[in-house]
Amino acid sequence: MDLSFETVIGLEVHVQLATESKLFCSCPTAYIGTEPNTNVCPACLGLPGSLPSLNRRALELGVKAALALDCSVNAMTRFHRKNYFYPDLPKAFQVSQYDIPLAVSGSMPIFLEGRVKNINITRLHLEEDAGKLVHKTADGRLSGASFSLVDYNRGGVPLAEIVSEPELSSPEEAREYVLTIRRLVRYLEVSDGDMESGSLRVDANISQKCSDGRWGSRVEIKNVNSVRAMERALEYEIIRQREILLNGEEIVQETRHWDDGAGVTRSSRSKEEAHDYRYFPEPDLPPIKIDEELVKYIGCSLPELPWDRRERYIREWGLSQADSVSLSENQDVALYLEKTVAFGADRQLAANWVRTYILRLQNETGVAINDLAVGPEDLASLLVHVKQGSLSSTAAKDVLGIMFALGVKVGAAMEKSGISAGGVSRDALFETVARILEANPAETGVIIAGGDTAVRKRKYLMGLVMKEIRGQAAGEEVSAAFDAVLGSIRDRSL
Amino acid sequence: MIFHEMEASRIASGIRDGEFTARDVVGDCLARMQALEPVLNALITPLSEKAIAKAESIDKAVSSGKSPGPLGGVPVVVKDNMCTRGVRTTCGSRILGDWKPPYDATVIELLEKAGAVVIGKSNMDEFAMGSSTEHSAFGPASNPRDTDRVPGGSSGGSAASVAAGYVPIALGSDTGGSIRQPAAFCGVHGLKPTYGLVSRWGLVAFASSLDQIGPFARSVSDMALVMDVIASYDHKDSTCRPGGRPVFSESIKEPSVKGKKVGIVREFQNGTLDGDIERSIENTASMLSSSGAEIVDISLPESAAYGLPCYYIIAPAEASSNLARFDGVRYGLREEAPDLISQFLRTRSAGFGEEVQRRILTGTFALSSGYYDAYYLLALKVRRRICVEFTQAFEAADVILMPATPSLPFRKGEFIDDPISMYMSDVFTLPVNLAGLPGMTVSTGMNASGLPLSVQIVAPRWADSRLLEFAAVIEAWAGRPGISSGGVL
Repeated sequence: MDLSFETVIGLEVHVQLATESKLFCSCPTAYIGTEPNTNVCPACLGLPGSLPSLNRRALELGVKAALALDCSVNAMTRFHRKNYFYPDLPKAFQVSQYDIPLAVSGSMPIFLEGRVKNINITRLHLEEDAGKLVHKTADGRLSGASFSLVDYNRGGVPLAEIVSEPELSSPEEAREYVLTIRRLVRYLEVSDGDMESGSLRVDANISQKCSDGRWGSRVEIKNVNSVRAMERALEYEIIRQREILLNGEEIVQETRHWDDGAGVTRSSRSKEEAHDYRYFPEPDLPPIKIDEELVKYIGCSLPELPWDRRERYIREWGLSQADSVSLSENQDVALYLEKTVAFGADRQLAANWVRTYILRLQNETGVAINDLAVGPEDLASLLVHVKQGSLSSTAAKDVLGIMFALGVKVGAAMEKSGISAGGVSRDALFETVARILEANPAETGVIIAGGDTAVRKRKYLMGLVMKEIRGQAAGEEVSAAFDAVLGSIRDRSL
Repeated sequence: MIFHEMEASRIASGIRDGEFTARDVVGDCLARMQALEPVLNALITPLSEKAIAKAESIDKAVSSGKSPGPLGGVPVVVKDNMCTRGVRTTCGSRILGDWKPPYDATVIELLEKAGAVVIGKSNMDEFAMGSSTEHSAFGPASNPRDTDRVPGGSSGGSAASVAAGYVPIALGSDTGGSIRQPAAFCGVHGLKPTYGLVSRWGLVAFASSLDQIGPFARSVSDMALVMDVIASYDHKDSTCRPGGRPVFSESIKEPSVKGKKVGIVREFQNGTLDGDIERSIENTASMLSSSGAEIVDISLPESAAYGLPCYYIIAPAEASSNLARFDGVRYGLREEAPDLISQFLRTRSAGFGEEVQRRILTGTFALSSGYYDAYYLLALKVRRRICVEFTQAFEAADVILMPATPSLPFRKGEFIDDPISMYMSDVFTLPVNLAGLPGMTVSTGMNASGLPLSVQIVAPRWADSRLLEFAAVIEAWAGRPGISSGGVL
């Protein structure tokens, strides 16, 4: 009998919240590139006698993310202690949440090849990060060390853990889910969502359901440090688990670590192994009542969510899938686009130009879109000319370059470049067309004889005209002039 | 002048008015301490030089016309589980080694700001676990009223310091009776404030939901004086109640119990209670009655039956987590080992004493998966019922009058190998911690053999000033406790 399998994946995504200070003390959250153990205090070092005080900003950012994920925010929430010994955990417990997390029961749509799938979110809770162990030898190498160093600058940095239901059925879906969360937290400015630096971390739970009714045990995969690594780890794990089941064996429920270099997952015999965390309510932090007004306020001030915006661009604006994704990913970009349209630009035209030129300018210069010399109003007035045909795309691109370089408005930029809207007079245009046709008798002859069925020759000649007039007329105008001049040549030759 | 017999309020006003100097007062108290310390071992770390320097700075302030603060020049002792910047803080344990905190506990800051002179850090049962100060890595302390007997615990060193006249006031911490029981044993007053009245920032935690800092004193007015200094909102302790505090010294100006209802707990008048203590309760009740109070019967069956087991699940459970940080990685003792786990095990086995290890094991067990519901969760439910029971009792009574301890101070070594009997010493005090209430041991003199007698009074949450008012009435009748030298001088 041929067996088939279904893959079941659930993800735990840890997002570092973009607060200035740590979750339970006022130390700065900066830990990358800081001198080790400088952003610390008695509280985040867990010194005897120290106590935690909750950072309200972290709570607010957690609520913001939770509402965007359509979760219900609990009216009362509380923290628990998760107890285990490890040198990067200075109190030997992590303050986390357990039975009453900040928020529960949400969902988030992910887009897969034109199909939308809603992934249910089990919960979102807050917790503190641990410190960082550095394994370093005396000569500074990182392997073969006989001792480890620990840096507590990261200890106590606020994290939101977002737990999905086991509803993802492939590594591709898992990938799309993580990318969607990353876009969301960046969009909401809840986190920088950077996986490489560890601001966004993923643990994946994966199991197999066999067509003969067997359910493989769940395996947790840790140490995936990029979306690609997660996909590879899941792909590897699917094959490994299916082979075990095909051999009629049982899958061990365990935590496995992804070895990116070797491209395999390995059974972990470290701190996560068979732990009893002895969770109990953190007695140093009374339960927190979450103000209903605050939740309402945060809910009302949430921007249009990226997936809603994307849908709107597709349905109402008629933009392509690709345009919609890239233009809805970042709130500032989306607002720039929408303002450009509000100032009178055509939607599709604005979408093309923002995606092609404005984003490029932003990337090339590193200047935030809101600080670019060319604002939505300037772009809109440029695009109005393009739409009306008084500027060709080529000319408009030159004008935009000047607007950007000199920080001037459309009018001044056109003057500067010697281009003016509807720049060539009708006479000048006709004269140019006539000159080009005369200078290219062979092509002209074919056209007049009706031999240019593929319109290649006409296009070639029109290109020459455009070049001559430096794009200062719309294509239709040039085309009309072409027809007129060709007509008169035909008349003359009769 | 014999400064070490004086009340703190008298010392402070004498220094403020230029009648005598802080240097003289501190010198006298240090001499007293140095004479008795070889016998009492009430201090783990005496701070003589620091104290003299501080006294001199107080004198300088006074002579330049500055106010030295409400406790200006008053010598005090603090329990060695309160963090003192740059000064060794041991918790009576080996595991902290020579650790010097980089910060002061909030109560230390407040005392310093008020001009108090810390002359030493007091001996205690290791991590405040014990009722005799015998479980100290620095050797047992003795009771100044009878040096063959224990001073009680865990704040035995602080209680002994006040009873012996090292200082007029001292700070202790009380998780299940660790202020009130040693106060009773040493014959001084001891107050455990309402949970959340005094900041715990800088108090090395034993059981976070029960721990509370409070004072020892030989007079109710000194008690009020120090409460006015240490009872203050602190944002660094999330369990500290926001808002103002009553002026405690005002509440004892014209103390009266007229028309107040005093509850007597029938369940606590059982056969195990020492006869002298029982009579002390009865005498206090009749005095209060003749002063215009009404004596009413109340019932606390849950506290009587389940208080002790409930406490001995919750406190060790929290302790097992609070004490997990002592792993030899960052500070304190480290026993080197070839691997991490062995280093943890060796360090903790060598650093913690037997009683602390017992409680860590008990607490770890109570929180373990499969046992959590049967132990920890059940204990939380019982705790809830004890709270409700007290709330109901306070519908009938303004204060509850009950014993602080079931027995008079026991002899050294008497219960050292019998933890359960030792635990019984706190049977009347620990329900008060479970309910977060204020409770106070008020000294009521001595029995025929010269051992201290006392009563415990308990009030509703945040009614700490009511306790002081009652204590003032009892003190006016029973007299203020004096000092003892334990026969040494």
